[in-house]
Amino acid sequence: MKQKINTKYLSSLGISVLLAFLVGAVILLCTGRSPLKAYGAMLSGAFSAPRHIGDLLEYAMVLALCGLACDLGSRVGIFNVGGEGQLLLGAIVAAQVGVSLEGSSPWLVLPLAALAAIGSAALYALIPGVLKVKLKVNEVITTIMLNTVAAYLCQFMAKGPWKSANRTLIAATERLDARYWFGGLIPGSKLSTAILAAAVIAFFIWYVMQKTTPGFEMKITGQNPRFARFSGMKIDRKIILCMAISGAICGLVGMFRVYGAEHLYKQAGISNDYYFEGLMVAMIARYQPLATILLSLFFAVLKIGAEGLQQVGVPNQLYLIIQTVIIFFMAAQSGFMETLTHSRNLKTLQESKKGGA
Amino acid sequence: MSEFEKILSSVFSVGTLQQMLRSATPVALAAIGGSMTEHAGIMNIGMDGMILMGAFFGVWGSWLAGTALAGVGMALLVGVLVGLFFALLVVRYKSDEFIIGCALNTFAVGLTSYLSRSIFGSHGTKGNPALPTLHLPLLSKLPILGPMLNDQSLFVYLTWIVVLLAWLFVYKTPYGFWLRASGEKPDTLRTAGISPKRMKWIASLLCGVLCALAGAHLSLGNLSGTFAENMSNSRGYVAFACVIFAAANPAKAYLAALMFGFFEAIGLRLQSYVSSDLTSTIPYIITIVMMVYVVVSKQARKRRLAKA
Repeated sequence: MKQKINTKYLSSLGISVLLAFLVGAVILLCTGRSPLKAYGAMLSGAFSAPRHIGDLLEYAMVLALCGLACDLGSRVGIFNVGGEGQLLLGAIVAAQVGVSLEGSSPWLVLPLAALAAIGSAALYALIPGVLKVKLKVNEVITTIMLNTVAAYLCQFMAKGPWKSANRTLIAATERLDARYWFGGLIPGSKLSTAILAAAVIAFFIWYVMQKTTPGFEMKITGQNPRFARFSGMKIDRKIILCMAISGAICGLVGMFRVYGAEHLYKQAGISNDYYFEGLMVAMIARYQPLATILLSLFFAVLKIGAEGLQQVGVPNQLYLIIQTVIIFFMAAQSGFMETLTHSRNLKTLQESKKGGA
Repeated sequence: MSEFEKILSSVFSVGTLQQMLRSATPVALAAIGGSMTEHAGIMNIGMDGMILMGAFFGVWGSWLAGTALAGVGMALLVGVLVGLFFALLVVRYKSDEFIIGCALNTFAVGLTSYLSRSIFGSHGTKGNPALPTLHLPLLSKLPILGPMLNDQSLFVYLTWIVVLLAWLFVYKTPYGFWLRASGEKPDTLRTAGISPKRMKWIASLLCGVLCALAGAHLSLGNLSGTFAENMSNSRGYVAFACVIFAAANPAKAYLAALMFGFFEAIGLRLQSYVSSDLTSTIPYIITIVMMVYVVVSKQARKRRLAKA
């Protein structure tokens, strides 16, 4: 049974990806560019140099963790759209911990920064979580609102109290002492040892969600909350906890971005709606952890490959078009198939009626 | 004059009110569109993308034909297409409206930036034929209201008509009644012989058109013929907040948009005292508080009814 679903899913994914590249090709042709050349540039953009592969893996890490954070929430039936805000909040708090403790040992600073990022982001995620569970306030709307609030707050801190003394940086914190940076793995790329921590976290989430009793209970809570409640599970507590963990992961991603890649907090640099891209990956993966991780790699290839598009004079936003068209096709597919079989059934019904008469 | 008086007079000046009206108008147009889909039971968070498309195609049309009117026409056409596309996926193929909305926002950023760079180069475009501003000599004689309302872009006045029409449509016509029923009690509506799906199609279409108008106003009116990448700047989410705040009542949504516009305007004016980043958060926090208030008061009413 499971095998059948997987092949069905894989074939629909494959068709969607192919169609999306076709749509991309049509757009390229319409704007007077060669699709072959552009897609070639994309491939070489992603794999031509080790530093591209490094950037690719770093971005895949961000996507995968954000996607998993989304998976965790949706598994228990709460949709965390606020990861962007939680990520930014975690990033700026972690950055400030590093700046204010300058001079202390990295063994003190790094765990403290991680804790601060986790704590602040988890607390921030608790607001929509508690509102949802206790008052049934729609969490999608509150998290969207809180995203903007967090973005403005971080902007305020980066422009005001925590602003760097460096005048060329308009809204950024002080640069971290190089002793606190995660070690780089590939020279010239953003890849750092943070990816090892990320891999451990990702494995842990996958393991808990797929292989343990709490993971199974989460699934029931999300799919059939009434049944879960009657079988004695404390579902309110589970939902709030999952939301907090989801937020904590986003906060950690923020810390990884600061300590691994950027080495200071600045809004556009830390995250450019990365959480939303991770969320879309999770959607395409139908909130399955393993699929989320694998698809993150695929979309990271697309994203970093798109940098190569610039070199042949194609705007790299083509990547966004292809990514979203895949989602459109994936989302429409089940409904489309349904209508197709429905009309086929109608036809056979009519024919059999005719035959009967 | 004391410092406090200075602050007060700069907050409650004609300029603030003018600015409020200016920045509220695109949000209000989109929010009225969002009210339609909200009534039809579709949670539409794709408004930001719809606005962005309207903004780009408005400028492009204006650039191609040399008149802003053609731009508005182009934006309208695209609005119709986007609305139909949204309905096709969400209503016909029953996709998750949230996923589609999310993807639509990103798709719009990708498409408009790609086209803008292909057509205008990396810096966008400026100074295309823009929408006219209206100057009514009679109006300028009024104190405060005169300078506040006069010399605004055409769409500012158009929006008042749209608000009125939308309110009449939703609450005073059978179509509006069916529209609300299609979201609240679709099965009852079906029993009455009217297809809830058709009402959802109409709602999506109206939302697409109104959001595209909002975008066209943004690029051709407020910024007089400018397109910059990602220029909708989360206004779709602001509009969404207005819809929630107003419980999808178009008239209240307009007032909510004015509130957002007011906070934006005083944020700019109070910059030397308070960071505009802080004042900008206020409307979002109010929206959340409002949502909580609505839920709590509803529960309290239920409890009262149960006791009685």
